Amino acid sequence: MAWTKEEELRLRKVIKDSGVNLLKENLVQGTWGNTAVRLDEDHMLVTPTGLDYVALQPEDMPVVQISDTSVWSDGKKPTSERKIHAAIMADRPEINATIHSHPVWCSVLASARIELPVMSDEMQKLVGGPARVGAYGLPGTKTLKEGTVAAMKGRNACFMANHGVFCAGRDMDEAFEIIRIMEKSCKEYIKQCTLKITGQLEYSDELLFDYFVSKYGK
Amino acid sequence: MIDNKIKETVMSYAAKIVAERMNGKGDRIAMRTKDGFCVNEASVQLDALKPEDLIELPLTTDDKDYVVIARLFAKRPEVHAVLYTHAPFVCAVARAKATIPAVLDDMTQIVGLNCKTCKSAATDDLVKGLKKRNSVLVPDGGALTVGRTMDEAYTCALVLDKASHAYVCGSVLGGNKIINCIEAKLMNIIYQKKYSKVNQENISKREGE
Repeated sequence: MAWTKEEELRLRKVIKDSGVNLLKENLVQGTWGNTAVRLDEDHMLVTPTGLDYVALQPEDMPVVQISDTSVWSDGKKPTSERKIHAAIMADRPEINATIHSHPVWCSVLASARIELPVMSDEMQKLVGGPARVGAYGLPGTKTLKEGTVAAMKGRNACFMANHGVFCAGRDMDEAFEIIRIMEKSCKEYIKQCTLKITGQLEYSDELLFDYFVSKYGK
Repeated sequence: MIDNKIKETVMSYAAKIVAERMNGKGDRIAMRTKDGFCVNEASVQLDALKPEDLIELPLTTDDKDYVVIARLFAKRPEVHAVLYTHAPFVCAVARAKATIPAVLDDMTQIVGLNCKTCKSAATDDLVKGLKKRNSVLVPDGGALTVGRTMDEAYTCALVLDKASHAYVCGSVLGGNKIINCIEAKLMNIIYQKKYSKVNQENISKREGE
């Protein structure tokens, strides 16, 4: 164990707060989504599987071995998505905090499986370029893990097809900045696409709804 | 008399629905009680709801304002909460009378393999529409969602809202890529039978049932 008890306690609280903050900022629904923080080069703390963020306590977070995620201790059963968090941390030594979640506007692009172009200098700085879409795979599968790792190459965020978004930062604060800019950029992109396809100059939800009803309405 | 904890739960989730802007005219928030169910009076909208506006009705009620909810509780013993909400993107799909396909995997888990708009707002059609499903759209209306707990019904409404965003916005993005039905079914079974069971039991205690 290459970390102190004090540091572990601090990071346990970071994980607990990250879940509550995802809910508060409307970046997740229910028990979905999960976060992780690195303890050392081969260990991380992750959120447990299937428990709501409000009820979770810092001591519930299990310590998971990055090189073999079947090895874990000191908490409740870890999220089945721990393999993705571990794979990113193994691949990217500079990454110390990861968030996987399903915010609304990111989920739209994940569902359409569309790469998000760089929408602002802030996005370029935080994400590192256009956000790619990882290959589709069922939750917990090797396909999903490998697709996410490939899409994250040289980036700090990517979409997971029909699933959500994955963000990685040097710490949890940075990971939150990244998920926020992803959500904001996705929303802006959809607005721009709506204006382009309708030929209008000013966006409103009604404009989008009318276009949708005209295309899909019965 | 309605248990105070149930009243608190209903009031707290009504506030969440309003905060998420999923409220609208005709909304209902209902929770099973020992003797029937607790629901907001039909004339009171969720943004103006007070604890004294909650009433308790038997499952045998035939009052047209509440009969769909009563029938759902009576037909589905596992259901402990029913919501009728009006999130704008959901209403757009209901206006188009469209079916939301499996656009997102959390949708397949909690909402179902798709979410159809019923052929009419008649009680029989709505109850039939919710057979083995957790949500259905009311033509030119909103969404009915159900759950084993209030939290689950609310989360179902939230996820349905997100799926509606994906489906509606997909129309300007060149369309959605749909999850194949076998994988969607598999995720639904795993969630309903395993993943959420412990969590729902814990939440159920917290909500006062």
